[in-house]
Amino acid sequence: MRTLGLIVREALYRKLSFGLGLLGVAAAVALFVFFFTAGEASRRETARLTRNMGLNLRIIPKDTDMDRFWLVGFSDRTMPEDYVHRLAAHSGLNYSHLLPTLKRRMQWRGTEVILVGTLPEMSAVDRQESPMTLAAKPGAAWLGYELARRFGVEKNDTIDLLGKTLTVAGTLPESGSEQDASIFAQLHDVQAMVKTEGAINEIQALNCVCFDTDRDALEVLREQLASALPDAKVLQIRPIADAREKQRRLVEDYLAVIIPFIVVVCAAWLGVLAMMNVRERRCEIGILRALGYGSGTVASLFLGRAAVVGIVGGALGFAVGTALALTYGPQVFKVTGQAIRPMYALLVWSVLAAPAFAGLAAVIPTMLAVTQDPAVTLRDT
Amino acid sequence: MVELQQVSKRFRGRAGEVIALAEVDLHVAPGEFVVVRGPSGSGKTTLLLALGGMLRPTGGKVLVNGVDVYALTERERARFRGENIGFVFQMFHLVPYLTVLENVALAATAGRTSTVWAAAGELLGRLGLSPRERHLPSELSAGERQRVAVSRALLNHPKLVLADEPTGNLDPDNAAEVFEGLAVFHRRGGTVVVVTHGTTADHHANRIVHLRDGRIDGGSGEKRMA
Repeated sequence: MRTLGLIVREALYRKLSFGLGLLGVAAAVALFVFFFTAGEASRRETARLTRNMGLNLRIIPKDTDMDRFWLVGFSDRTMPEDYVHRLAAHSGLNYSHLLPTLKRRMQWRGTEVILVGTLPEMSAVDRQESPMTLAAKPGAAWLGYELARRFGVEKNDTIDLLGKTLTVAGTLPESGSEQDASIFAQLHDVQAMVKTEGAINEIQALNCVCFDTDRDALEVLREQLASALPDAKVLQIRPIADAREKQRRLVEDYLAVIIPFIVVVCAAWLGVLAMMNVRERRCEIGILRALGYGSGTVASLFLGRAAVVGIVGGALGFAVGTALALTYGPQVFKVTGQAIRPMYALLVWSVLAAPAFAGLAAVIPTMLAVTQDPAVTLRDT
Repeated sequence: MVELQQVSKRFRGRAGEVIALAEVDLHVAPGEFVVVRGPSGSGKTTLLLALGGMLRPTGGKVLVNGVDVYALTERERARFRGENIGFVFQMFHLVPYLTVLENVALAATAGRTSTVWAAAGELLGRLGLSPRERHLPSELSAGERQRVAVSRALLNHPKLVLADEPTGNLDPDNAAEVFEGLAVFHRRGGTVVVVTHGTTADHHANRIVHLRDGRIDGGSGEKRMA
């Protein structure tokens, strides 16, 4: 009788034992797949939440008078708008979400306001990013909370600003910052209004937590900017940057511990199941060897069984783990949970690793049993 | 056929060393039916297992058909066992998930499948088990299981059959049937060594060997039968 035939017959005879073995492997793999798949959502959710803390880098002209900068809130010098394109074209930088900005203080309806011109965010050439900030379209404006409240301005109203009429695209929620007294418009509209075509006075950005280094992040950023834009300098809004980086690292460190831990637990689990099966069937090993079967043939019977349980259980576990992640992931990770997708690479790993672990675990008790005299194996059962 | 030369076997246990066999010499001629008898713990089973290449002795030589069994590699010894020796155990040791027919055919480690099935079916028929061919061992009586074990032992046309208390769990009628199966093999020229407490096998035996404290009882220990 062929080895596979014997494996199948044994499985059909010991349905409960085989089923429990299969269940054990499937549960171990499902646990791993669930954690890994949901872990990706957790990573993305943390990135999203920390990103939403806001842009934390300000790139300004190098010759900015810093006393005045801190007094006014922005640089009174300008730099070419083209700088943002040059920065975006550089690969391998820790700058992301590049937002070219032109800010001016001005009087509007008898009140001093900050006029902010922006374009849609630009991504670095080697990165794909979804925008964090809203961008005004040409001829449109967004009003800060305090201005909208004081002057009763609502969406679709029109406002006159430095001789140009803009349609209000919307009003912003209260932020507790200078944003509440700001008017946001498209960069080129603002440049035309203040007659500084082709110029900006700031590039806002986010430092990407994507390159591991032991060096101070700001030191690295300054070094990178010097090579890309020698006429500019960078300031970091430290509390936001630090909080963001610490939170990202915390989650990544947590996942770096928990995932290997789950792998080890699952591997041990598979190992114990395989060992129990071999111990339960030592008598068969003795019989087959007494009948003249070589240790290789007998071992292949047991290792083959471990492989079958591993492959079927691994595939089953992948299906269950993925289904759990797809079902419960979105409940935990409200935004990025929707983006949880089956990770088919894990299916390959599951059907390769589960039988490998089960086989490895079965090797030791099987080899111990087949290398003993058959009489010893039979006597011990 | 079988030659034991100064075979000894010691086991180490928590209570110290136990001598199961003490420099035993035994010769079994081809076509002999030998019964080995002795009290519990006298070393009967150890003698049988050592003789069948199943338990390496601590010292001495075991020759079967002129082959030094323990000079062979593990793989060669397994093949030698399969081709030359049939075993019958007290606890039957049938594979629980295979049918009666499959259990018997399992003994064939090589050979054409159709020939093996036919031979297994014929053996079962000879021992009155044809109607049970498709049954699992758990569906058989103890006597039937042991007859299946005897059929399995005979499938490869071995030269030697070793039986360890083959009727220890059987009633007298079933015991007689099992010994009859072994006797048929013996009458066809096979060599049989049976370890047993009882006397049911005596009338089939050419010789009875008494074992005590791991030694063959000298003088009156061996009894030649007519």
